[in-house]
Amino acid sequence: MTWLVWRQYRAQAAIAAALLTVAAAVILADGFQIASHWHSILVRCSGNSTCLQQQSALVNGVVSDLPYISLIVPAVLGMLWGAPLVAHELEARTSDFAWTQSVTRTHWLTVKAGWLLLAAAACGGTITALTTWWSGPDNARFASAFEPGHFDTQGIVPVGYTVFAMALGIAAGTVARRTLPAIAVVLGGFIVLRLVISDFLRQHYMAAVTTYYNVTGAFTPPGQAWVLAQGAVSQTGRVVPTGWGDLYPALPASCRQLLPGTPGAKAGASLNAVLSCMQAHGWRGFATYQPAGRYWPFQGIETGIYALLAAALIAATFVIIRRRDA
Amino acid sequence: MIAIETHELSKRYRRVSALTECSVTVPEGRVCALVGPNGAGKTTLLRLLAGLARPTGGTASVLGGAPRPDPAFLAGIGFLAQEIPLYRRFTAGDHIRIGAHLNLRWDAGLARTRLEELRIPLDQRVGTLSGGQRAQVALALTLAKRPRVLLLDEPFAALDPLARRNFLATLASAMAEAAVDLTVVLSSHLVTDLERVCDHIILLAGSRVQLCGDIDTLLAEHKVLVGPRKDTAPIERTHKVVQKVATARQSTLFVHLNGPVIDPAYQAEDVTLEELVLAYMGADEASAGKHLTTVGEGS
Repeated sequence: MTWLVWRQYRAQAAIAAALLTVAAAVILADGFQIASHWHSILVRCSGNSTCLQQQSALVNGVVSDLPYISLIVPAVLGMLWGAPLVAHELEARTSDFAWTQSVTRTHWLTVKAGWLLLAAAACGGTITALTTWWSGPDNARFASAFEPGHFDTQGIVPVGYTVFAMALGIAAGTVARRTLPAIAVVLGGFIVLRLVISDFLRQHYMAAVTTYYNVTGAFTPPGQAWVLAQGAVSQTGRVVPTGWGDLYPALPASCRQLLPGTPGAKAGASLNAVLSCMQAHGWRGFATYQPAGRYWPFQGIETGIYALLAAALIAATFVIIRRRDA
Repeated sequence: MIAIETHELSKRYRRVSALTECSVTVPEGRVCALVGPNGAGKTTLLRLLAGLARPTGGTASVLGGAPRPDPAFLAGIGFLAQEIPLYRRFTAGDHIRIGAHLNLRWDAGLARTRLEELRIPLDQRVGTLSGGQRAQVALALTLAKRPRVLLLDEPFAALDPLARRNFLATLASAMAEAAVDLTVVLSSHLVTDLERVCDHIILLAGSRVQLCGDIDTLLAEHKVLVGPRKDTAPIERTHKVVQKVATARQSTLFVHLNGPVIDPAYQAEDVTLEELVLAYMGADEASAGKHLTTVGEGS
């Protein structure tokens, strides 16, 4: 069976290896340039944070989107390897040949899907390792590894995405019996699930931490934390996000008069005066965030969710393949 | 010994009945023609027998076991689907290697020798071979399993007359060489394709079995009675009239005999296999029976 899979996919494996090599060369070449740039900045500023902030961006324009390749690869693999895995055999009727040899369909699917899932996970893993390394300086500079858009393209989650997209393609192709609808399901399903999980579910993997601080002061969670919300909260518990536009109507009239540039502003109005006024009225600053130390637990949980969904899809495929007519 | 036996085997696809209460028997060592018009259920029956489809009713037994997708069952059967399913980008040699990996019993030498005899290149993609060559490759692969039951679905559909002859020759030599009795079921919508090789027949029409049995016996049991136009009731009381054609002067009855024809007014003529098949196909619309003995109230 393994030989059949190898014979079926050896050309595609060669193409995938070639593309992966090209991608690796580009990412490595660019990554080394960024890394050396970052090192020169570090040397120049030698720990001075103001100096660090004044430096120009490490990555600009299109190049800054490079890590998204570790989201594109899973979707593409799901469409090109997952969707046709069963569907194309049914379409070309080669399933009639394979399934009337002396092996069970379970064995056939185990070996075929097993190798392809492994190959896809290897591709996804390689690309992600590269983008994770490439993003290192940028992460360090902006403490952003936990932020959406960065979290999703680094670490181990893209491997979970890859396995899931593959499983979705395999299952959809088995149900639809045709490749094209299965490709559409992979694309749609992958995008929708990714949106739902990254925008709504991920922040709830663990209860977020909220820290209160003096409004006159400032607070940044230590390390590469993921800040979910930050702003001010009144004595009565009214929560207002950062930004004067939202804050202004919520302020007591006496504090409002201290905000410069507003109608009826008093003489001597200043932002610090407003903050002191707020402090006097019992306002506090707050930050709700996922601490930096939860980065890897969150990576593990998210990868686990996708892996479980993939396992359920594969299990369903086995049931369908065994029970349904060829 | 019985190679294939089905009992009220049925298959429904949603609301369409592809096969209805099909009961047939094929003894071991027979070459059975599976005939019927397009859409009669021939492919469905073969796929059910090969374990590729599951019945929605009734039972089937092939070589003593219910068709199912497990190695023990699959090793005994050779199935060749109508579409001649091969991996178009693979060579015949690749397919022979695949077969060796996917079967415990696999006669690679047999397949190779056969294809070399037919001068079919082993190292050329099968997608680039002619239809006849592809069919030969598929047959050689099916035979390399050394099956005891061979199920061939419309193997001649894409073949020209010469390729048909070669295909049948390959089949005949395989049967001669087989160590055990090889049972073959060949489907076709043209009975003339099968007349020379088959000794057993299953006729399907309208998803039901119209006829099943040994061809020589069936031919001996059926006669065309030609006589004056008169009341046919006496004949119908004794014999089963499959088809009745009445002109102004004479009536022609296609009957399944039940004893000798006594009425001297009728002249009994032998029937050919083609006439037999056509008579029962025509009988399908008016009355559908589930077995030979219940068929033939006339149309």
